[in-house]
Amino acid sequence: MGSRASTLLRDEEIEEIKKETGFSHSQITRLYSRFTSLDKGENGTLREDQVNFRGFMRTLAHFRPIEDNEKSKDQNGPEPLNSRSNKLHFAFRLYDLDKDDKISRDELLQVLRMMVGVNISDEQLGSIADRTIQEADQDGDSAISFTEFVKVLEKVDVEQKMSIRFLH
Amino acid sequence: MKSDVFFLYLLPPIVLDAGYFMPTRLFFENFGTIFWYAVVGTLWNSVGIGLSLFGICQIEIFGLTDITLLQSLLFGSLISAVDPVAVLAVFENIHVNEQLYILVFGESLLNDAITVVLYNLFKTFCQMHTIETIDIFAGIAKFFVVGIGGVLIGIFLGFVAAFTTRFTHKIRVIEPLFVFLYSYLSYITAEMFHLSGIMAITACAMTMNKYVEENVSQKSYTTIKYFMKMLSSVSETLIFIFMGVSTVGKNHEWNWAFVSFTLLFCLIWRALGVFVLTQIINMFRTIPLTFKDQFIIAYGGLRGAICFSLVFLLPVAVIPRKKLFITATIVVIFFTVFIQGITIRPLVEFLDVKRSNKKQPAVSEEIYNRFFDHVKTGIEDVCGHWGHNFWKDKFKKFDNKFLRRLLIRENQPKSSIVSLYKKLEIKHAIEMAESGMISTVPSSASLNDYEENIVRPLSPDEMNNMREILTKNLYQIRHRTMSYNRHSLAADSSEKQAKEILIRRRHSLRESVKKTHSLNRNRPAITKTTRFLSLPKDTKLPEKLRIRNKKSFRVGDDSSDSELEAPTTVLNLKPRARNILQDQRHQQPQQQFRMELRNEVNGDHEGRGDHREAAYETHASRGYRQPLLSRPRFGTLSEENVTEDVRSARPTPPPRLVRWASDAERHNNKSENQTY
Repeated sequence: MGSRASTLLRDEEIEEIKKETGFSHSQITRLYSRFTSLDKGENGTLREDQVNFRGFMRTLAHFRPIEDNEKSKDQNGPEPLNSRSNKLHFAFRLYDLDKDDKISRDELLQVLRMMVGVNISDEQLGSIADRTIQEADQDGDSAISFTEFVKVLEKVDVEQKMSIRFLH
Repeated sequence: MKSDVFFLYLLPPIVLDAGYFMPTRLFFENFGTIFWYAVVGTLWNSVGIGLSLFGICQIEIFGLTDITLLQSLLFGSLISAVDPVAVLAVFENIHVNEQLYILVFGESLLNDAITVVLYNLFKTFCQMHTIETIDIFAGIAKFFVVGIGGVLIGIFLGFVAAFTTRFTHKIRVIEPLFVFLYSYLSYITAEMFHLSGIMAITACAMTMNKYVEENVSQKSYTTIKYFMKMLSSVSETLIFIFMGVSTVGKNHEWNWAFVSFTLLFCLIWRALGVFVLTQIINMFRTIPLTFKDQFIIAYGGLRGAICFSLVFLLPVAVIPRKKLFITATIVVIFFTVFIQGITIRPLVEFLDVKRSNKKQPAVSEEIYNRFFDHVKTGIEDVCGHWGHNFWKDKFKKFDNKFLRRLLIRENQPKSSIVSLYKKLEIKHAIEMAESGMISTVPSSASLNDYEENIVRPLSPDEMNNMREILTKNLYQIRHRTMSYNRHSLAADSSEKQAKEILIRRRHSLRESVKKTHSLNRNRPAITKTTRFLSLPKDTKLPEKLRIRNKKSFRVGDDSSDSELEAPTTVLNLKPRARNILQDQRHQQPQQQFRMELRNEVNGDHEGRGDHREAAYETHASRGYRQPLLSRPRFGTLSEENVTEDVRSARPTPPPRLVRWASDAERHNNKSENQTY
């Protein structure tokens, strides 16, 4: 924190980020200081994936809770990054590893394997994946497309589940 | 009714029921808000009502001037307690969304600590002649002691109960007894030390719920559930009856001003309190509470039997106008319960409050929920923000490492996804066994589209046909007369049937998915062996048997026959052996079936021959799935027949076939026939 952080982040940039993501000024500076403390190589990016600060903020913006006053804002402009459908898009992309806009059985298996742990047999995981796909699949292609994904989650309170309170 | 009876016998079952079935996850997510409302809200209410009533009493014309400040504060403290009984009774019917429900209900449970402390505090103050500031601080400290002490006692006894149930797998019938005993014990212990009994029993129930549920059998769990609900319903009814009866008595003194102003102040202060508190707490919440929510919370603050008992407990010597208090309390209770309780439902509909949606639990939802949890924890970690999820994650790790190992028998760390999946499959299988029809997993996406399933009506002929086929082919267990043992219950035959169908159904599901993938998965053997791993947790198999079975299947028939031999010669009547025997059968349905068939052909000619002929007619072409078979035999040692026939090489009669699921079975059957 302190002077080192703020000199590297220009004011115009902060304004841009604020408009794009909706975070407040203090939140952005705080997150920037966190970013720099994570960025050990001091080259402006995180790890090999070359996530720069803008990308970092964009991703985090998905997790901002939805506020009431935003709903009435301009309908013409681009949807704010933390709207329900954008949150769902983000979650979908986390599953969809090969980016073909479908969650196939193998992708689901991978995610399940990571979440569930090591003491479940492959076959059992396979059954769970099968059941999941069966529950969601409407057009019978044995993969989950984005619309099907949204359909399954329409009863789940995604706005609440995918939100983190960012301290001011 | 004495207050003793109420507090010792009638109240605990209700609180226990509430605490045991409380959705803990939701409760802890909103814990800050609930705590805030319970503590600060109750304080605000009691002080507010007490002071304003005192102000009213100062007005000469009402004739109330002999009520001192302390007395009115005492009255304020007991009348401001939101009552869990009344709240439960009303909220359960209107089905508001879970968040609202948990807020109001959690508040009503937790405010007992405050109420008890304030009540006792003011009562002793009334009896003392001089009050010093040290006493006030002692009172505040006492609140912490009462609340936290109660919770600690509850948690401690909850752990003891969980630990006890770890060892009860030999004597299943007394498991429910432990649950009830320990919870009541926690209540009584807390009350004995003048701590908050309600908090103790709530904490105990919530702790027990997590661990005991894994240790007890399914039957014990059902017993506990129904017995608890029954007890709490009975208690609730009795409480309200007593209240009604006491109303019609000679304990009253009516004073228009006091009663009406009490009622008015209760409503006003509750509304004000909720509003102000929500403004403050909204700054800390992720999702702020809207006005609608606030209104429902304020409106749902019903007073009930706790106020009633507390007012009865007042010593007359200290409070000369006790009867006045009783009258006022009764009026408030009646008003809140009847008028507010009745009108809350149309209000909820009018305001269009978000209702809870009773949806079918789906595995996919569980997956996504868990997924979001992980993602959120990760993001919080990246932000360096020690939020809610961070602590939850830490607690879970601690839980898995120490607590579960200690408290749960045969602890395999289970994922909630897997348990939900198993639960759903078992439910599905039982439905199938009962209705005799096959239904595919309803796609919840398509269910959202169509509200009702259109079932093709079957002609009576078809129904009879199917029924006949099913009764012959459904898996039935050999009956043996067991020695009557008071401490063990014989397993139900439909349970085992359900298990069997579960396994087969899972297999068919896998097959149908495999077929649509059109992958050539040439591993029928492996799919067979996993039947063991996917059995419900009660069936214990000795380790070596499991391994032997895996190997034997690949080798072929001969060893599998010897497998069958081994358990059968052990004519043990214990359920476990029976399970093993069945599991053997699960693994090798086809071979089993053939042996049995030969058995029948040889064994029972008389009387059953024609029966068999009729069944043979029903087979269609090859490629349909073969059902499982076993005939119930009463009392005879039939296993020897089986093994005999196996040795004798007889040509197999055409298998009795039933059209079961999809044509994918053909693939499976061909491979089966080859191995044979």
